[in-house]
Amino acid sequence: MKEKLTEEEVLHVAKLARIKLSKEEIEKYQIELKELLNDVEKINEVENFDDDILIACWEENTELRKDKPGQMLEPKEVLENAPRHSGNYISVPVVISGGEGA
Amino acid sequence: MSEYIPTIGVEVHLELKTNTKIFSDSINGYGEMANSLTNVIDLGYPGTLPTLNEEVINLAIRAATVLNCKIRKTMHFDRKNYFYPDIPKNYQITQARTPIGYDGYVEIEVGGEKKKVFIEEMHIEEDTCKSAHRGTKTLLDFNRAGVPLIEIVTKPCMKSGEEAKAYLEKLKEIMYYCDISDCKIEEGSMRADTNVSIRKNESDPFGTKAEIKNIGSISNVGKAIEKEIERQAKLYDNNETFKPQTRRFDDKLQDTVLMRIKETGNDYRYFPEPDIPYVILTDEIIEEARKKIPMLPDERKKIYVEKGVSELNAKKLIQNRSLSDYFNTLLEESINFKIASNMLLGDISAYLNKYEKTISETTLTQERFIELVKSYEDNIITSKNLKDILEIVLESDKSIKEIIKEQGIENISDDKEIRQLIKRIIEENKESVEDYKAGHDRAIKYLMGQVMKETKGKANPRIANEILVSELK
Repeated sequence: MKEKLTEEEVLHVAKLARIKLSKEEIEKYQIELKELLNDVEKINEVENFDDDILIACWEENTELRKDKPGQMLEPKEVLENAPRHSGNYISVPVVISGGEGA
Repeated sequence: MSEYIPTIGVEVHLELKTNTKIFSDSINGYGEMANSLTNVIDLGYPGTLPTLNEEVINLAIRAATVLNCKIRKTMHFDRKNYFYPDIPKNYQITQARTPIGYDGYVEIEVGGEKKKVFIEEMHIEEDTCKSAHRGTKTLLDFNRAGVPLIEIVTKPCMKSGEEAKAYLEKLKEIMYYCDISDCKIEEGSMRADTNVSIRKNESDPFGTKAEIKNIGSISNVGKAIEKEIERQAKLYDNNETFKPQTRRFDDKLQDTVLMRIKETGNDYRYFPEPDIPYVILTDEIIEEARKKIPMLPDERKKIYVEKGVSELNAKKLIQNRSLSDYFNTLLEESINFKIASNMLLGDISAYLNKYEKTISETTLTQERFIELVKSYEDNIITSKNLKDILEIVLESDKSIKEIIKEQGIENISDDKEIRQLIKRIIEENKESVEDYKAGHDRAIKYLMGQVMKETKGKANPRIANEILVSELK
């Protein structure tokens, strides 16, 4: 088992988390993240592991909500909590490379 | 260009027709002022918890059923993690591991041949907020955040743009009839992405995949696929390769353009959503949800044709759900369904389109429509009469009999009376009869003119024409 992650692996994780790392930090995380992964790897040693038990902490059915409208926020309140807005829209720096959702 | 075998899969997102959002009780609406249909859950504020909308489950069961899917009775939700402003809590709640429906199919017909499009799985998820890029800014509207979606994923089993188009049209028709979604591509309540790859032989492994995202119309899906097949074929012909990628269809260029080289699924770091426990579907819940499935378009079409409606009319009827629903209420009656369908799709549809009404917004009760059809069938009114009285029929409560009387419509439909008259006219116009027999079609028009003149336009033209032709033989 290798002792540390590669620099590329750390940078890849950093990119997914949208954070910048210094050279020192990269070196630190190469070891720290690998240690964490090694700990998690131990789960794989359990025999006849039924991974369904990890999905929820109890097996009761979830409570469903009736399809009835409730209280909503005023647009003014929504915009107050955003750093910037333009008209009724929340405004953020342009992001064109993505559009991951749905 | 050499021959390649295309492999096509389609993913469709449908917004569900619920009153409220999937995980919050704010209103699920379209076309309202930006950020006016939200609450703290849709905005992903810290400390908020999702509560699952019962109607989403009902609609998803209905959808899975009409897609001939198996239904998973114990399921959970997962978090799909990514950083992007369209989802401020940094994960989308979806069903990655336990989709509600799986192993289904939809039957399509292309070029007269029936084919099954297999459904890999169908899962429930939340929509993200709508973002619009304006220069250096991206503008966000959270009205769409948390709108319930189902995503329907086919197996890579289609071979042409034509098949993908037929599948989407069928899907749209079924989902619309079942009130699951309003399926408006232009409003984004139906969105289609497609995966395209090509290979030389069936025995070869699949080629590299390109995904084409958010295509604006069903016909463009067909075009985008054909263009993409062409593009990949050219690359392979030149011994070039390409990386898996995401492309979009450019309406102006009428071609696909590169968006990005694809991230892999692992980067989303899916894990079970701990805020929503298991969803367990009992047989009662499933049965109750299925009760609301109406008669589906294919079955309607079959019945209409059995009742004597032409294939074309049957097809046209199911394209207009309110007319088809109206027609269905008549199926137990003993009327001439061919005439009924012609009337509904002809003059009545013209009226409805002109005044932007639906059939239920007119005064045409089933009883009055039956009377109208019978009056035509029994030659009491002609198609010209129908045109003349239609507005009164559709806007008043008077019986058809009353309207006919008031409008002074009397048609001579008595065979004997007309036949006698025609015999006399033939006798008196021997020259025209000779012309007709010599092949001059105009002569018959002249003779018909004489009939109408003699009866002051009251002879039923259909009957008169039939008799005239038979007498001329």
